[in-house]
Amino acid sequence: MSLYNFKKIMVVPPATSFIDIMLSRTQRKTPTVVHKHYKISRIRAFYMRKVKYTQQNFHDRLSQIIQDFPKLDDIHPFYADLINVLFEKDHYKLALGQLNMARHLIDNVAKEYVRLLKYGDSLYRCKQLKKAALGRMATIIKRQKDNLAYLETVRQHLSRLPTIDPYTRTIILTGFPNVGKSSFMNKITRAEVEVQPYAFTTKSLFVGHTDYKYLRWQVIDTPGLLDRSLEDRNVIEMQAITALAHLRACVLYIMDISENCGHTLEEQVHLYESIKPLFANKPLMIVINKVDIIKLDELDEARRNVLANILNDENVPVIQMSTVSEEGVMEAKTEACERLLGFRVDHKMKTKKVENILNRLHVAMPEKRDTKERPAFIPESVMQKREIDAAIRQKRKLEKDIEEEEGDDYILDLKKHYVTIPEEERYDIIPEFLDGHNIADYIDPDIFEKLEELEREEGMRLENGFYDPPKLNIDETLQEIRDMARQIRTKRFILRDNKKLAPKADKPKIPRHKLPHIRERKVENLKNTMEELGVDMSGKDDANFVKSQMSLRRGIAPAIGGSIQKKKDKESSAIVKSTGQPLKRKAPKHELGLSNVITKKKAQVMAKHDIAKKLKKMCLKGEADRFIGDLKPKHLFSGKRGSGKTDRR
Amino acid sequence: MALRTEFENSSDIGVFAILTNSYCLTAIGGSEAFYSVFESEFAGQDNNSSVIPVVHTSIGGCRIIGRLAVGNRHGLLVPSNTTDLELQHIRNALPDNVQIQRVEERLSALGNVIACNDYVALIHPDLDRETENIIKDVLKVEVYRQTIAGNSLVGAYSVFNNQGGVIHPKATAQELDELSSLLQIPLVAGTVNRGSELLAAGIVVNDWTAFCGITTTSTELSVIESIFKLNSNQPSKITSELRASLIESMT
Repeated sequence: MSLYNFKKIMVVPPATSFIDIMLSRTQRKTPTVVHKHYKISRIRAFYMRKVKYTQQNFHDRLSQIIQDFPKLDDIHPFYADLINVLFEKDHYKLALGQLNMARHLIDNVAKEYVRLLKYGDSLYRCKQLKKAALGRMATIIKRQKDNLAYLETVRQHLSRLPTIDPYTRTIILTGFPNVGKSSFMNKITRAEVEVQPYAFTTKSLFVGHTDYKYLRWQVIDTPGLLDRSLEDRNVIEMQAITALAHLRACVLYIMDISENCGHTLEEQVHLYESIKPLFANKPLMIVINKVDIIKLDELDEARRNVLANILNDENVPVIQMSTVSEEGVMEAKTEACERLLGFRVDHKMKTKKVENILNRLHVAMPEKRDTKERPAFIPESVMQKREIDAAIRQKRKLEKDIEEEEGDDYILDLKKHYVTIPEEERYDIIPEFLDGHNIADYIDPDIFEKLEELEREEGMRLENGFYDPPKLNIDETLQEIRDMARQIRTKRFILRDNKKLAPKADKPKIPRHKLPHIRERKVENLKNTMEELGVDMSGKDDANFVKSQMSLRRGIAPAIGGSIQKKKDKESSAIVKSTGQPLKRKAPKHELGLSNVITKKKAQVMAKHDIAKKLKKMCLKGEADRFIGDLKPKHLFSGKRGSGKTDRR
Repeated sequence: MALRTEFENSSDIGVFAILTNSYCLTAIGGSEAFYSVFESEFAGQDNNSSVIPVVHTSIGGCRIIGRLAVGNRHGLLVPSNTTDLELQHIRNALPDNVQIQRVEERLSALGNVIACNDYVALIHPDLDRETENIIKDVLKVEVYRQTIAGNSLVGAYSVFNNQGGVIHPKATAQELDELSSLLQIPLVAGTVNRGSELLAAGIVVNDWTAFCGITTTSTELSVIESIFKLNSNQPSKITSELRASLIESMT
């Protein structure tokens, strides 16, 4: 909120620890190992980095300090003047200026030594150069010892200054020491300023806040002023003068009518007259304090005459109060606030800002547009309740209290307040969905009447025997027919199921490695079926049900039994006509040179392995696979041909 | 009396509550603190009775009931995304003379597009004609299509009861006069929650009580109290007694 917060200025370390911080940071944050047999460029870079890094740190920290401290030309004149009074402007500026200079010097030292390091021809020389650079930087800072110490005290003092907003509504209390400024402050704010019966109890500015008319008011308690010229005033008084001079606030000049403060009324009036120029263009009030001791009317003639000048001034109201008996304190505050508010509002009304908010100061009152009355609706019970004193009303147990009481076990009961539903029905569980239907879609207000109607109808039906099963008389033939029908039905179901279970027509009929499927059409089966169907099959043993042997497409037919003779190929059964002997041939190539069966077998196995290996290696499908992926590879048949590029091998 | 309150550290209490002269709805929060503010304010004379029912509810599973639904003494309009269970709960909890109606409307944040008291309603210019009729029938109000200071979300930028109202701070004096004659109540342009112009989010009000966000300043609060006639003050106090404070606090 506040514009001026001096609490965030970073600590300014004293010169020695400043140097320690910087050097140890360089030690920690840069590489530490270097050897003389390293390449010289590497050694130079190593030391240059150290120098540059140290310089950068010094530079950053000094810049931080210079930036953190407020610039006297940029801040509000009140603060500028206050800093001038407390720390001396020249000293302050000089200190910051010298730090700035030190920063420049350090930069230059670093630049110079980095340049020298470029010519360093050994590790030793480079190291010495670095040492010299850091040493010079440290010396520069060491020379700033006093400035750093001064700035640290300034920082500590600044951070303890009260946060005064120079632009807000402010009431300033002023007057001789010990006239009761701080007591008044304590009465209207909660600042708790120290009050003691001796002069200069308040040695600096104090801020308190008070409320009036929904607004927050800043009250500044200033140290007491003595009646002397500006040049003679000490630092404590000068703070009060700064506040009076620069803050556009309502000034309360507090006077001690009893003269208990040790200053006569004459002196007080004189002081008022002498500092009057500071009150120009500000709402001003004179507050006469300590009237519990002596009232204004009870003063003797001489003193009245002293005050006459003040009392007769129409622009400056005079208020009597006593901080001891608290009479007139609130009047003084109210009057001060009112005057300041009026003053500020008058000023603001002249600016453009107010035009933007004029609409918000306007209350639109309705024009009657018809005769209809639109009264407010406030239930009777509310009006009654208002009349009951809130204190008398018993404390009600709120949901919050219940929650607190039950802790983790608390469950929000939504149904508690269904006052129209009787308690036993209130908690009935109604599902949102039932059998896939949304219950809410079927809500029918007349459901109970409809149900009653239905029940009545149902009752009548029951009475009339609507649901009694009809009586049937079954004779023998009918029974027989029924039995037969049941049998037929069962059979049909079985057939249907069998058909479902039988293999489908679109499936491969015979897997090649399997035996052919042979239909089980046997005489026996036929007989059984027919008998089941009720046909008399006795005496049909001789009937020639068996058909002639099926001719099987394939040679092997174990169904019939017996092995079929292996057919010899034509060649092997060839006979030489001239001799009549079977033809003898040379052994096939792959069997040549193999004397017996064992070696033959062995050779076969070996061949098989070799072939498999080759297939695997070349990704072939089989022995006969002669596939060539790309017969005419593009790169060999296009473009210019260089020497020896036509052949891909 | 206007009370400062907050819902789970948010001062936009108007988002989480609906208050009318015959019932009060609050969102289901993590704790009962918010609910209990209303509960204690509307407590009846004897234990367990209350002047108006204060009901926990959600709408379409959301807590932002103040922006989704709108109502007055006569009825309550809820958007189409309200579930049947919620509707049933509201129906059970509210008095029988309050009509509850689910509205099929494209602009489903009804609280933002409709502002009403027991007699007049201001609505968003793009609202369906059908919705307008429903508003007329259920809330028993005269309906006017309006914008406020160039904003068509009339429900968000205005709050009024049967005795007065606050509208968007940028509304001109002329606009204020027009709206005031339309609504037949005194109006003022104001803010809530330290300068927030989303008035309906900061204030919930009926004819005898108001609740404001916790960050509302005392000047804002005093304007609210006098315009809604919550204490003996008349709205004219804003132009007389409060004038200086208002100028001082706003510039």
